[in-house]
Amino acid sequence: MTKQEVLGRKPLHILEKIRENLEKLNEKMEVMIELQKHGRKDIQPIPEAPLDVMTLLSMPDHLRKTAMTVCRLGRATAEEIAQQTHRARAVESAYLNQLVIMGYLKKERKGRKAYFYVDRESQG
Amino acid sequence: MALGKIIAVHSYKGGTGKTLLSVNLAATFVRHGKKVCLLDLDFRAPSLSTVLKIEKAECWLNDYLNGTCEIDKVLIDISDRIQNKGKLFVGLANPATEAIRDMSAKDRKWEMRALGRLLALRNSLLNDKGFDYLMFDTSPGLQYSSINAIVSADLVIVATTLDRSDVDGTKRMLRELYDLFEKKTDIIMNKVLQDVSSKSGRDQLQTRIKDLYQVPLLGIVPCFCDVLKGEGNIIFAQERPEHPFTKILDEIASKIDNNMA
Repeated sequence: MTKQEVLGRKPLHILEKIRENLEKLNEKMEVMIELQKHGRKDIQPIPEAPLDVMTLLSMPDHLRKTAMTVCRLGRATAEEIAQQTHRARAVESAYLNQLVIMGYLKKERKGRKAYFYVDRESQG
Repeated sequence: MALGKIIAVHSYKGGTGKTLLSVNLAATFVRHGKKVCLLDLDFRAPSLSTVLKIEKAECWLNDYLNGTCEIDKVLIDISDRIQNKGKLFVGLANPATEAIRDMSAKDRKWEMRALGRLLALRNSLLNDKGFDYLMFDTSPGLQYSSINAIVSADLVIVATTLDRSDVDGTKRMLRELYDLFEKKTDIIMNKVLQDVSSKSGRDQLQTRIKDLYQVPLLGIVPCFCDVLKGEGNIIFAQERPEHPFTKILDEIASKIDNNMA
């Protein structure tokens, strides 16, 4: 099958895939930018880290704000968090992904949306 | 309709009057016609069961936080004790020594789940059951259960006295605990011995307290022998509606109503 034939059959589907991959790439870049901004020492993954209040207290201010908002909302997208914190969606997306890397939050994709939440029940 | 609010009553040191203020403030809200739920989150030294003379509960708050029962089974309706159209429900901490020991040995993962269950009360009690106020009476200092309560609350009321070590500790907590969680925090200065019967005396003390803590002052409560004579046996604000102590709580409750509206 030639490239044109594929495009002809599923143009929308392919464009969707491209968009999804670009979004994933974008998120990764946001995380990398944040990593550089705050230094890598902040985001060492901690195995099975519970997001308890003492952990919240010891976090850097910018991450605590995001983590607290996830705690309050239960389950939310970067957009919803940004509405509460009055920071840019891209910034929240980067902080949320940092918290995922650190092991404090879980991330779940539903279609084109990514939801972040605290996994309180499954741990230990 | 405005949604209900969660208030945590906390302090740095013990004996500042958290439980007395919590019970009487809850009773005052009820006298004002509100639907209130008061929860004893002081698992180290439970006292609400004694103050309210309730010896047995179908379930304790300990069970709710352990995930072994629903909040409905914990709540006890004691509205009949307050003569008004308001409603008062309480949830008790288990005062048995074994239960206290069990609660003080919980690990971080348990505390994290407990925070999730406290946060869930906003939905189950305020949104679904229509409570106007959910009040947490907490343990003093930086206890896990107290910080969980603070994180879950809309307003933290700090009960403090003019005792030197309490003042210093409270100042530290304001900066290093409530501020970090970006919590709206108000102060009640309790057990005041200075003469605040004159306006100038009151103003002077108010300025001093505001300079000390740099947060809003909800009220100044003088040390009343009448309250102490009650020996924690009565809900004072209910039994003595004309007493100056009750009047001060009336003002505090109205202030909170206005601030939270």
